[in-house]
Amino acid sequence: MIGHRLHRAAALAILFTAASLLLLLRPLPLSGFDLEERVQKHVLSNGLTVLLFERHQSPTVSLYIRYRAGAVDEPEGKTGMAHLLEHMMFKGTKTIGSKSFSQERPILDKIADTGRLLDAERRKKGRADAARIETLTKRLEQLQQSHRRWTVSNEIDRLYTENGAADLNASTGQDLITYHVSLPANKIELWARIESDRMRNTVFREFFAERDVVMEERRQRSESDPGGKLYEQFIAAAFTAHPYRRPILGWPSDMRNLDMDTMTEFYRRTHAPNNTVIAVVGDVNPGAAMKLIRRYFGGIPRQTSAGFPLTEEPPQRGERRIEVRFEANPQLLIGYHKPPPPDADDYVLDVIESILSRGRTSRFHKRLVEELALAESVEAVNGLPGSRYPNLFAIFATPRHPHTARELEEAIYAEIDRLKAEPVEERELTKIKNQVKANYLRGLNSNAGLAGMLSYYEALLGDYRYAVRHPDKIEQITSADVRKAAGKYFVPDNRTVATIVKGP
Amino acid sequence: MRRSFRILLFCFFLFYLPSAAGAAPPSPSLPAPDRLKYPPLTWQIPEPSRWVMDNGIVLYHLPNIELPLVSVSLVIRTGSIFDPAGKEGLADLTATVMRTGGAAPLSGDLMDDRIESLAAILRVSADRESSNASLSVLRKNLAEGLDLFSRILMTPSFEEKKLALAKNLKLEELRRLRDDPQKLAFREFQRMFFRGDPRGSYPSRSSVQSITRDDLIRFHERYFHPANVMIAMTGDLSASEARELATRYFGAWRSTAASAQIPPPEKGLSGGMFFLLKDTPQSVIVSGRFSPSKRESRFYPFELLDFIAGSGGFRSRIFQQIRTDEGLAYSTGSFYRARPDYGLFGTYVLTKAESTVRALAVLNSILGDLSTQPVRVEELSSAKKAIDNSFIFSFASAERIVSQYVSAEYDGLPGDYLKSYRKRIEAVTEKDLLDAAARYLGTASPSVTLILGNASVLEELRKIHPSMEVLAPLPEE
Repeated sequence: MIGHRLHRAAALAILFTAASLLLLLRPLPLSGFDLEERVQKHVLSNGLTVLLFERHQSPTVSLYIRYRAGAVDEPEGKTGMAHLLEHMMFKGTKTIGSKSFSQERPILDKIADTGRLLDAERRKKGRADAARIETLTKRLEQLQQSHRRWTVSNEIDRLYTENGAADLNASTGQDLITYHVSLPANKIELWARIESDRMRNTVFREFFAERDVVMEERRQRSESDPGGKLYEQFIAAAFTAHPYRRPILGWPSDMRNLDMDTMTEFYRRTHAPNNTVIAVVGDVNPGAAMKLIRRYFGGIPRQTSAGFPLTEEPPQRGERRIEVRFEANPQLLIGYHKPPPPDADDYVLDVIESILSRGRTSRFHKRLVEELALAESVEAVNGLPGSRYPNLFAIFATPRHPHTARELEEAIYAEIDRLKAEPVEERELTKIKNQVKANYLRGLNSNAGLAGMLSYYEALLGDYRYAVRHPDKIEQITSADVRKAAGKYFVPDNRTVATIVKGP
Repeated sequence: MRRSFRILLFCFFLFYLPSAAGAAPPSPSLPAPDRLKYPPLTWQIPEPSRWVMDNGIVLYHLPNIELPLVSVSLVIRTGSIFDPAGKEGLADLTATVMRTGGAAPLSGDLMDDRIESLAAILRVSADRESSNASLSVLRKNLAEGLDLFSRILMTPSFEEKKLALAKNLKLEELRRLRDDPQKLAFREFQRMFFRGDPRGSYPSRSSVQSITRDDLIRFHERYFHPANVMIAMTGDLSASEARELATRYFGAWRSTAASAQIPPPEKGLSGGMFFLLKDTPQSVIVSGRFSPSKRESRFYPFELLDFIAGSGGFRSRIFQQIRTDEGLAYSTGSFYRARPDYGLFGTYVLTKAESTVRALAVLNSILGDLSTQPVRVEELSSAKKAIDNSFIFSFASAERIVSQYVSAEYDGLPGDYLKSYRKRIEAVTEKDLLDAAARYLGTASPSVTLILGNASVLEELRKIHPSMEVLAPLPEE
C-alpha cells in the first residue's frame, strides 16, 4: 500500500483465497529452455524430496520448503491450527532463541497447563468463575515474564534479515504449508541450519500472544473486509461435508481455544521429511547443495503419516444461494464443483478461465464490462479453495451502479451458456494458447517464481513435471472439449451463489 | 553521450561475526547459526549502457538472453501532482485511455486484439509523482510490439467511448472506496498530511465527470514528449538492436517542450489528530511526519532509523512490541518514502477497537524513545548488516538493475549514488541516528495522525485527545 516495506511487514501472510497462489503458478510453456532436462530431483532415504535448478542470473538463491499438510488436515474443532503453527514456526528452536532450554522447558509446560485451564474456564461463559479467570490470567502473565528471561525473541527472523534475506515469508493454504526465502548465494548453509532445525525442534514460545495476532489477522482479512467475509461464507456454503468448507484462518471459537499440546501432535505428524518438498533455484552448485542438504536434513527420522480418511463431498443436489449482510457495495461470487488436477477436465477448465476473463479481449470484459456496462470487474478462477481434492470453478464479480448483483449474475450465465451452445473460434483458442505459453516463460524469469512453481506441483501432485507439461496439454484442447466441459459442470444444480447485501 | 559497457564491481565481504549476546551454546551436532562461516560472495554487476537519442530521449539497455522475452519500460515525468484543480483524476484517466482508446490506424478494440494476440502485456499508469508505461513481449514479436507501444505513447486517439468507460469505472471505484477500511484510512491520511498541496488532492465524483477528451489531449501534449521520458530495454536483445529499434519507433517523436519540474511540497506541516468514523471491529492508525529527502545527508541515518523503528523485520521495535510482545496487531510497522525534495516517515497499526488507545500509546512511546535515547549498538550493527547483505537483491535481474539506474537519474541523484550507498550506510554512527531522530521524531516536530475507528473508539480517544478533529464522512458517491 505504501512502499514495498508495508508488504514486508505483513509477513506470515496466509494464502487467503489460494487464488493468488494458483495464478502465480500458472504453468508456463518452454521454448529454448528445457526445464525438465535441467531440474534435478533427489529423494533422501528419509523420504525428503529435493528439486534443484542451477542458474547464474545473479549471486542469489531462492529456497522453498513445502509441507504436504494444510488447513484441510486439521481435526474437527481445531480449525486455524495449521496457520497458527506456521506463525509458531518463527518462534525458534531448542538452540535458536534460547538462553537455556533446560530452564525454559519446565516453564513452558506450566504455561501450556495454565493456558489450558484458563481457556477451559472462559469456555464456561456465563457460568465462568471470574476470580479464577483473574488468578489464572495473572499466573499466566507471571509465567510468561519468567519465561522471557531465558529467551531471545524473533531470532529466526533476525538471523535471516541480518544475512540479507529477501522475500522471507510463509503461507498456509488448505493443501500446503510453505516457508520461503531468498538469500545471497553464499548463505545457503544458514537456511539449511535453520530449516532442518525447525522441522523437528520448534519451540512454541509466545504462544498466547501469537494466538491474539492471528485473531487480529482474522479481523483484518474477514471481519473488516466485505470480500473476505463473502468468500468465507461462500466456501462454507459450497462445501457441506468436505473440510474445504472451513476457513484457513479458522472459526473464531476454535482459534480462541487452540492449545499447545494438540499443536505439538499436529506439528510432529505433518512436519516430517517424508511429507516435504524442497526447491533450490539459483546460483548454486547442485552437488554441493545436495551435500549440505543431506548433512542437515538427512538424519531427521521419517514419521508414519497417520492421516485420517477425509469426508468426501457428496454430489450437490440443487442450487445453493446465500446472502451476507455487510455495510458495503454489492459483490457476487459463483462457484461450480469440479475435479482437481491432474484430471483431464481440469485442463479444459483452465482454458475456459482464460476465455472468460484473461485480458481486455476476454468475454467477460468485452461483454459485461464494456458492452453491457453491468460490471466493474468479473474474474474467473479455476481451482478454489485448494487443489488436493475436488474443488470449485469460481467467478468473482462486482456490479456497476445502478445495476444489481442479480442483473450481473444473469448476464454471467448468458456468457456461460454461450460456451455450451457455440463452438469457440480457432482464433480465440490460439490466442489463449499463446498467452499460456508466454506467461509460462514470464514465470521462469525469477528464481522465487520457479522455485515456487516446482515445489508446489511436486508437493501437490507428487510430480513437478505437471507444470512443465501443462502448456502441451493446453495446446491439445479443442473447441469440442470446451463445450463438453461447460455442459458437464456449469449447471444450476451444481452451483453456489453468494452475494453481499448492503446493511449493518 | 555514450558510456561504454563497463562492469561495476561490488564485493561482498562476509566476515565471521561473534554470536549474538545471549544465544545458546551450540550443540555438538549443530553449529550456532551466528558462527557459520560463509565463502566470500563476489559478483560483478553489469552496468547498463546509457545513450541519448537525437530527440533527447534517454535510453538504458541491459541484455539478458536466458529467455526469449523483452521488456521495455518508460518513466514519464508527470503524475497526478499535475492534475488541475477541479480536474482531479486527469493524469490517471489520460494513462488509462492512452492504453485503451486506440492509436491510429488502430481503434481501441483492434489495439486490444493485436496486443493480446501477440501474448504481449502493455500497461500505462500514472502515479502521484511519476508515470510509467511498460511492454513485455516475446522476442519474435518485438518489432510489432514496439510499433503498437510507440503509437500508444506518441499518438493516442483517446476514443470518446473508451473515455466514457474509464470515467464510469473510476466513479464505481470511488463509490466502493468506503468499503475498504485500510485503503480509506491511508488515503485520508495522505489527504490530511498534504493539505493545501496537490499531493493531498483526490478525484471526486464531480472532478471525474468534468474531464473531457480535450483535457486528455492537452495533458498528453504537455507531458508526453522526448525531454520528459526515459526508456529502458532489457532482455533478449543487444545494445545495437535496442538503439536501432528505439530510433525506428521513437525517433520521430519531436517536441520543443522542456522537461517538467515536480514541485516540492510546501514544507510547513500543520500537525494534528484526525478521526474518521466507520463501523468496524478493527481500527486503522496511520501517523506521519516530514523526514529527510533523498538528497540530504540525513537520508542515510534515516534509512537505518526507519529499519530499526518498524520496517526491519520482526526485530524492529514496532513489530516486536506491538505484534510479538503484546499481540495487538497482525499488520504494523513503519515506512519511509524518500523523494528528491522531501521525505515522509510514517507508522501504522491495525488493531481491534478495544486496543486502539493502547496501540497508539505504544507507538508514541517507541518514537519518543528513539528521539531521546541512542539506539543499542547491536541494533545499529544488525540493521547495517541487513541493508548491506540484502543490497544484491536490488540488482538481482536485468530489469532491477536498469530500474535502479533510471530511478537515480529520475530523482536527480549524484552519479555515485548507487555505488556509494552501502558505504554511506556503513559510515552512520549512533550519534547521527539520534540527531536525525531528535530532529524529525521529537515532540517539537509536527505530525499528522489519522485514526479510522468505530463510535466506541471515538468516545475513548476524545477523552484523551480533546482537540482531535472528527472528519466529515465521505459523501455518498
